[in-house]
Amino acid sequence: MEAGVGTLARLPEGSLDLVLLVTEPTLKSADVSRRAAGIIAERKIAEVVLVANRVRDRRDLELIRSAIPHARFHVFPEDDAVTAAERDGVAVLDLEPGSPAVAASQRLASLAFGQHGAG
Amino acid sequence: MKIALVGKGGCGKTTIAGLLARQLGRSGRQVIALDCDANPTLGISLGLGVEETDRLAGIRQALDAGDAEHAPSVAEMLERFGATAPDGVRLAIATKIDQPDPG
Repeated sequence: MEAGVGTLARLPEGSLDLVLLVTEPTLKSADVSRRAAGIIAERKIAEVVLVANRVRDRRDLELIRSAIPHARFHVFPEDDAVTAAERDGVAVLDLEPGSPAVAASQRLASLAFGQHGAG
Repeated sequence: MKIALVGKGGCGKTTIAGLLARQLGRSGRQVIALDCDANPTLGISLGLGVEETDRLAGIRQALDAGDAEHAPSVAEMLERFGATAPDGVRLAIATKIDQPDPG
């Protein structure tokens, strides 16, 4: 499911298997993800993967990584195909199946289920 | 398996959720995508199209306004407030459920 931090704070212990903390390279986004990680840990909601989005360079990576230094980490690069898909109101996977974001999503899917085994 | 995408507004949760759901659907997994946003747009990222996504957004508005009743079960939620996207992904507008199924 896709939700904001407010929804997260209402979830009981063990209610999820995995939380993907999507974070773009801004201090505000990193701060929200850091606070969300704190809520998740305090309430023992689920395991966490820090997903760095719209990454352009090492500075972006380091900023996002610093939000939750010990979390599992996955990267989505900045991708013009995503911008084009959002402009056109279509799925980026349909618009440009070979784009970097699509490749990153395939790796994320493998990571998510690899972490928890088949099922 | 239950996965939630969380983050600051505008960080890309919807785009990544759509990509992940489609990838999992393509791999043969049964996927239900729940859009908890007050202005649901996950349908677009899933490839459902603007018209169908707007239809689902209208349902959310009706629920919030009290003009429609929440679904009493997951099955009914999917039937009344959902649609099927490419790769077999079932999208539903999140609503209150009186009889949640275990897991």
